[in-house]
Parts: sequence; structure tokens; C-alpha cells
Amino acid sequence: MRSDGELQEMREASTASLAAVVGILIGAALAFTAATAPINKLLGSGAAALPAALHGLTAFLYLFVGTIGLYLGWRLMTGRIRAFADLQLLSTVSATLSFLAIVAGNWLYIYYRANTPESPRSSFLKTMPEVHRVFFEFKEFAALFTLPLTVAAAFILWHYGGQVVERRWLRYSVAVLLGLSFFYLVVAFGLGAAVTKLRPA
Amino acid sequence: MSAATLETKRDEGHIDAARGRLRAPVPGGAAVAALLSAMLGMLTLAVVNVFTAASPAFNTWAHGIGKLWMPGADGIGPYSGKETLSLAAWLGSWIVLHLTIGRRDFEVSRWLIVFLIGVGIATTLIWPPVFEALAGH
Repeated sequence: MRSDGELQEMREASTASLAAVVGILIGAALAFTAATAPINKLLGSGAAALPAALHGLTAFLYLFVGTIGLYLGWRLMTGRIRAFADLQLLSTVSATLSFLAIVAGNWLYIYYRANTPESPRSSFLKTMPEVHRVFFEFKEFAALFTLPLTVAAAFILWHYGGQVVERRWLRYSVAVLLGLSFFYLVVAFGLGAAVTKLRPA
Repeated sequence: MSAATLETKRDEGHIDAARGRLRAPVPGGAAVAALLSAMLGMLTLAVVNVFTAASPAFNTWAHGIGKLWMPGADGIGPYSGKETLSLAAWLGSWIVLHLTIGRRDFEVSRWLIVFLIGVGIATTLIWPPVFEALAGH
């Protein structure tokens, strides 16, 4: 039987290797981009370029992590999860990315709803009011729902630890939280992408 | 749990799970507090939004709440206040619930259903045709 220190080492190695893979992938993507694209044109020229890039980046990353979290949540619900420590980590990363996407979204929203005739909101209200009044309004609230859901999932996974695997309703609770957060993420992401395609900020 | 079983589970990658089983059972109240507070935060956002749509005075008040602390609240508008009130309801109720029921043994199954009903109501209320109708528009 291995000592607790060895167990800790195994778990840390798993987390570190995952972080290393993520770091290498992001680094490789940045290196390729830097080598092949004009950096000064990447963000665009508008005043909202930086918040738009940050909001898109965090939302994209959240979508990737949320998708894996959804799959692991399903494995947890069925009681067949092996990567429990990974799910703990992913739920925490999901909650963090949800928070960052909301913060960047708030920043971008300032430009979206600017009181000028050229702002996306003014433009939609003049030409396609339902895009703002239905889709954007729903998206801006649905996006906020992801934060309490992912934080609650991460809290239960860390607070109860391995007991989650043993206790059926804790498994179901975490799976439901991750499933719902993914639903709201996809709603916000899809509608956000559609709105941006119609009229970038 | 026997040492052999524990070893097998570890080899399968159930390291945290194995650790968790060695601890005394953690009461279900903490999970219930987390679920209910998340639901209350979502419901608060939905209800506050209905009232801001219904009442210009309440809308101005909600914007004032956001302006108290949120950077860029002038540009964000009343949405900043809706976020603030939702955040306060979520985190405030979580602290209260965790301190009051966190160490009690609640049945998670029952409260998960309550949570789902609350989330369903909140989702219905943030659908614009619904909250616009409730606001009398």
C-alpha cells in the first residue's frame, strides 16, 4: 500500500501534466499566430477590440473546458468516473472562466450599448429590434447563470471529495449543475456569436 | 474498506475518491446550501429584471446599486445593478445557509428537485416575451 505522500505526488503529477499540455497548446497557437499574422491587426481597430477579444477568448476556453466537464459529469452521474481529480480541477477552471467571461462581457457591453447611432444596440433597435430585445436580452442573463452553477459544482466536488462518488444524490447534483451550466453556456455562446456576426461592437 | 480494495481503486485513478471514503461522512446540508443559494441568486436576477422592466423608478434604483461599486456601471446601465443584487443574494444566502444548515444532515434528493423547479422558474422569467408580458408591455 502506497503512502499518502506518494498519492499526493501522483495527483500533483496529473494536474501538472494537464497544465503543461494546456500551456504547450496555447503557447504553440500563439507562436504560430505570431509567426504568420500581423499582430497589430489581430484585435481589430475599434475601441471595443480588446474587450471583444478577451470576451471571445474566455468564452471559447470555457466552451472547451465546459464540454469536457459535461462529459465527466455524465461519467460521474452514471458512477463510472475514473478521472475524479480531473473533474475537480475542471469544475474549478470552468467557474474561473465563467467569471472571467462575465467580467470581459461587462466591459464589452459598455461598447455594445453605447448611446451612439453606430453602437450595435442602437443599430439593432433601429433595424432588427427582436435581435436585441429577445436574443441579446436572454443571452445576457443566461450567461450570468453559469457562475453560481459552476461554483456550486466545484464547491460540492471539493467539499465532499471522494464521497461524491459514493453518494448517489451528490453525484446527480454535480452532474445536474454541470449539465445546466453547459446549457446556459451554449445559449450565451451561440446567441453571442450570432449577435457579433450580425453587428460587431 | 480493505487495503486490497483501496489499492485497486487507486490504480484506477480514484485517488480522491479513496481518500474521501476514509473520512467521516460530510453532512448533506452543505450541498443543499450550495444548491439553494445558487437558485436564489438566479431567481433574484430574474425577479429583479421583471421589476426593472415594469418600473422606471426601480430601474433607476437598480442602476444606482450597480454604480455603488462596479467599474463602468455608467456604461453598463441597470444591468450592473441586476448583477449586483443577484450576486448579493447568491453569496449572502450561501453564507447564511452554510452556517445554519451546513452541518445538518439534509436529504439532497428532495432539495435537488426544489433547486430544479427554482431554476426552471428563473429561466422562464428571463425569457424576454415572458418578462415583458409580466411587466405589462
